[in-house]
Amino acid sequence: MNKEEKTKSGMPLGIIVGVLVAAVVGMGVLYSCSGKPANNGTPNKNTPKNTQATIQPNAPDGATPPNLLGSPTATVTVEEFADFQCPSCGDKFPVLKQIQSIYGSRIKFIFRNFPLTMHDKAYDAAVAAEAAGLQGKFWDMQNQLYTNQKSWSVDPNYKQVWADYAQKIGLDVEKWKTDMAGLQTKSRVDADMARAKALQVSSTPTVYINGKAVQYAEMTVDTLRTLIDSELSANQASKPASTGAANTGNSNSGQK
Amino acid sequence: MKVLKLIALVLSLIGITDSVYLTVHHYTAEPVPCSIVAGCEQVLTSSYAEISGIPLAAFGAAAYFVAFCLIVLSIYGNRITWKLFGIQATLMALFSCWLIYVQANYIGAFCQFCLLSAFTSFLLFVAFVISLFVRRNPMS
Repeated sequence: MNKEEKTKSGMPLGIIVGVLVAAVVGMGVLYSCSGKPANNGTPNKNTPKNTQATIQPNAPDGATPPNLLGSPTATVTVEEFADFQCPSCGDKFPVLKQIQSIYGSRIKFIFRNFPLTMHDKAYDAAVAAEAAGLQGKFWDMQNQLYTNQKSWSVDPNYKQVWADYAQKIGLDVEKWKTDMAGLQTKSRVDADMARAKALQVSSTPTVYINGKAVQYAEMTVDTLRTLIDSELSANQASKPASTGAANTGNSNSGQK
Repeated sequence: MKVLKLIALVLSLIGITDSVYLTVHHYTAEPVPCSIVAGCEQVLTSSYAEISGIPLAAFGAAAYFVAFCLIVLSIYGNRITWKLFGIQATLMALFSCWLIYVQANYIGAFCQFCLLSAFTSFLLFVAFVISLFVRRNPMS
């Protein structure tokens, strides 16, 4: 058989079609075997476990006053350790925002900065949020950072982008820049990181409800509601929240 | 020469497999927490990972499949397709260099499966370059 006959034969087409079919079948097999966690909240095998399942009372306090939403006197505390450049934290941001909205002053929601060293802009992002907090706009800046995480995370001009966010949320941008360069904001971030390290927090986001760690796979609205409701019931209903309890006189709480 | 083409064929199959896995992963994987030790899927969830909502890996799978087709046709005697493959391999290698640059300088993290694809593209290019210097065997 000469070369021309080989070319004209069905072999090349057969091989090409065969590989195409194999690729499509392989895709289907991979898709059907995808490792999504069970709906019953069974932790995904990839979920790293925190070393400390419960918060030890002698752990450092973290930034004082903390970034807090809800009521400071609520009997249920939801404490999140997160990194602004962490994709999973961005993924869970709407979930936790919904929890805040559902429970309002029935819970005390605290955000702790825990920027990971592998994220080159995370520490600066935490400082930027804290600087916004000094003007009472921490939560607005948090919203901007998480909502636009994918774009600024890969933007070499990220600081200008953040300055645009600062202007958008109504900050005194020059003061914000000055505060970013100052020690107060960095000290707050460092204090939260010290608390995280003392608790041996090993991943972000990490959430504690009344001091008990919540696995990543459990960070859905429904599961968190179950856990929080359980704590509320155990405490036999929360104390009545004071009017405007989120505004405790410091600039880091309650401003959403 | 034929050996080079067979090597290129195997490489293109590796590229197809890798890209198909990344494409499926894009649509099915639950985000994992960012671990202090193991990192997180920063590359695969970055804005560079897709074009108009289509994962970059899908384009990669299509490109490797086209390369595979060109190599198969070349093995069966079509000389033009090997030259076309050479052009494609060059473009894929250049694009892979760009993606590595993006990972290093913009994203600040690397994805091992993405690096495997880049390495595969580069080897395809090398196979073509070597073929330019190999004396043609009348039997190939």
